[in-house]
Amino acid sequence: MLFFRSEERLREWCRKTGQAMGPVVRMDQLWELARAWYATRLEPDSRRPQPEEIRRIFGSLGLVGAYWDPQSDAFGRD
Amino acid sequence: MSGALDLKVKLAVYRHFAENGNRPAVSDVAARAGVGADDVRGAYSRLREQRVLVLESDGTSIRMAPPFSGVPTQHRVVSGGVSYYANCAWDALGIPAALHRDSVVHSRCDGSLEPLTLAVLERGPEARDWLFHCPLPAAKWWNDIVFT
Repeated sequence: MLFFRSEERLREWCRKTGQAMGPVVRMDQLWELARAWYATRLEPDSRRPQPEEIRRIFGSLGLVGAYWDPQSDAFGRD
Repeated sequence: MSGALDLKVKLAVYRHFAENGNRPAVSDVAARAGVGADDVRGAYSRLREQRVLVLESDGTSIRMAPPFSGVPTQHRVVSGGVSYYANCAWDALGIPAALHRDSVVHSRCDGSLEPLTLAVLERGPEARDWLFHCPLPAAKWWNDIVFT
């Protein structure tokens, strides 16, 4: 999970590394993901989000579809 | 019974990272949690199963206590005079989110390798048009979490 300065830089990186280009996430979306996962991480009652909760968090940020589904079998499980 | 022990150990691990910026030894966690070293090792194994911790192959060194990294990475966060390593770009913002403190993220653009610096206040990061990219779909993240 990496930062890129622009989509052009990301495309270059995909070409160079042979990695498929997945969906991109803006910084404001990434901050909301960071808060959702970690804002209570140092507290006694913190816990990792569960699949249904993960879908809800992603969906609230417009990150929808099989790529963002933590239990999707569209990509195999190898 | 093990639930209470695991919680003590988890909190001891996370508080050590938050205060020091580096991974604790088993003896650090045992002292902080007020339990024995064998108790800590047992809890580590269960916390690994729950995907709370990622351990090195020795079974006792912490590789990841997300968002904190137990080993140096390209994503460094400085906050409150302490330097931390994050596991990935997501976790680089996760550390300020967990600490609830103003922080500065030092990372890089992987396309150009140029350094990137980002101030993150408690209300969020300064505006940047950078992008974040996951090379794998969510269902595959934990197949190889170190690569992810």
